[in-house]
Amino acid sequence: MHLPEDAVLLRIFIGESDRWEHQPLYEAIVLKARELHLAGATVLRGPMGFGKSSRLHTAKILRLSMDLPVVIEIVDTEAKIQAFLPELDRMMQGGLVTLERVKVIHYRAGQRAAAEAS
Amino acid sequence: MKAHWFWLFVGGGLGTVLRWSVSGWVAQRFGEVFPWGTLAVNVTGSFLVGFLAGLMGPEGRWWAAPETRQFLLFGVCGGYTTFSSFSLQTLNLMEDGQWALAGANVLLSVVLCLTGVWLGRHLALWVQAPKV
Repeated sequence: MHLPEDAVLLRIFIGESDRWEHQPLYEAIVLKARELHLAGATVLRGPMGFGKSSRLHTAKILRLSMDLPVVIEIVDTEAKIQAFLPELDRMMQGGLVTLERVKVIHYRAGQRAAAEAS
Repeated sequence: MKAHWFWLFVGGGLGTVLRWSVSGWVAQRFGEVFPWGTLAVNVTGSFLVGFLAGLMGPEGRWWAAPETRQFLLFGVCGGYTTFSSFSLQTLNLMEDGQWALAGANVLLSVVLCLTGVWLGRHLALWVQAPKV
């Protein structure tokens, strides 16, 4: 897969407790992105955060550590991302979705993965 | 009924039975004049919660489901000894360099808990005292 220099970065902010059809939502989003042949996806978990409800989630206080923030980042062409958004909307409950333009410097598989593919 | 209450219930129950067994065993062997049993439970419980939180925290390798963390950290460790939560959260404050808050947590816990147990006991004695 080729990624042009001008691409967009989709950022999805959710909680790790969010679910979609019996699996964690972050997992469902990444699998859906792969199913739709998007260029890639990365999931990050944060130690602290809050969202629209202003409820604080933090790893520091045990009682408040049960729904830590999760960010999923997906970079692809504008068209592919736009096509992905309705799917995402269907899966998401609460959360935040942002889009920004990015310059792709480097997009290639590691040597081992490339060798396995050839 | 919230489903995660069930796992807290089960985890807390397991932790409590574990505390009962360990503190009983230690008390019988070592604790004739000092509460070694309770101390042993508090120390091992703090070790356990630190280990599990290290595995399952944001920087750990085991990305456990929130329900699993709740079951183990809150349920099992918390049922075993509340000292586990106390120790973990004090350590969190210390690692963030918040020494004043960590110190306050230690000091307030000891002072207020002793005050609480003293007040409770004396309230009971007062309530039961024969009235003239």
